[in-house]
Amino acid sequence: MKILVVDDFSTMRRIVRNLLVELGFSNGLIQEADDGENALTMLRNNAFDMVVTDWNMPNMTGIDLLRAIRAEPSLKGLPVLMVTAENNRDQIIAAAQAGVNGYIVKPFTAATLQEKLSKIFERLAASGATA
Amino acid sequence: MNAQVSLMAGEAMPPELHDLLNSADGAAFEKALDALVREREQRVFRALGLLARDLHDAVRRLGGDLAQEGVPGSVADARKHLEDVLEMSSQAAHRSLDFVERMRPQADALAENASAVIDGTSEGEVAHVLAKQSQSFANACRDGLADFVVAQSWQDLSGQRIKKVVNFIGSVENSLLELVSLTGALASGEAAAGPVKVTSQDEADRLLSEFGF
Repeated sequence: MKILVVDDFSTMRRIVRNLLVELGFSNGLIQEADDGENALTMLRNNAFDMVVTDWNMPNMTGIDLLRAIRAEPSLKGLPVLMVTAENNRDQIIAAAQAGVNGYIVKPFTAATLQEKLSKIFERLAASGATA
Repeated sequence: MNAQVSLMAGEAMPPELHDLLNSADGAAFEKALDALVREREQRVFRALGLLARDLHDAVRRLGGDLAQEGVPGSVADARKHLEDVLEMSSQAAHRSLDFVERMRPQADALAENASAVIDGTSEGEVAHVLAKQSQSFANACRDGLADFVVAQSWQDLSGQRIKKVVNFIGSVENSLLELVSLTGALASGEAAAGPVKVTSQDEADRLLSEFGF
């Protein structure tokens, strides 16, 4: 499974990468981008299976990246997990309305990440089965 | 502040007005009233003019201070210090993550070897007991390392706050410089003096003229 981790803080990208590896995802298939703009370019040029993105980033924020993904026919079905320090109600609602697949508030634990990821895959599998 | 305003609020009514109030000459009364109102207006305008000049002088002095003492420089320093903190904390967090990435394979290998020994020995054997202890130690290490990784997210959370303060300092700095350049006091990056003063006075006068002075 190819995963794109998007965050302007290199520390956070590495933390998410570490946790994903800990959960059994292949380190070699995880790639990183430092803002939404670069992420979008990478997503257009390579096939990814999932995006884990921060909200607050320069150039293009996580919510704008999410909207851009949903607006692009070739990317719109991509699962997007938001991992962010933004925990106010309006922002969570905005993310939900934009079609986020999961929302994790920092700081989080490996267990939370695992739980949200399995939920995303369960839902995807369910929608895939009915489609 | 040297503006002195008295709007005759507490003063007694001028005798000529008092006389006019009691006279039957309506035209003379209106004329006198107009003159009185105009005089009041002029006092207010003069007071506002003095206020505007004081404000202008204060901003010009600030401009001079900024240019002489390099306050914008120290503001930039403050921003730089915070950016350094951000960078140092990032490096520290990465070093901690290096440590985790170095230790995790060792914990994995220990768990694997212990498992092999457990399978190859029977209960009661010293090696079996030791292998079991090793296995639980290795598992505890793996859990601890995962927590250790998550704990490094302090750098991201504190770093985001530092970035906000850095941006705030930048906007304060810009506002300050805008205020100063508005008066022209920092025209050539020098303290307000000589020709700069003339320019700023001209600008001040131009500004004042816009307000009808």
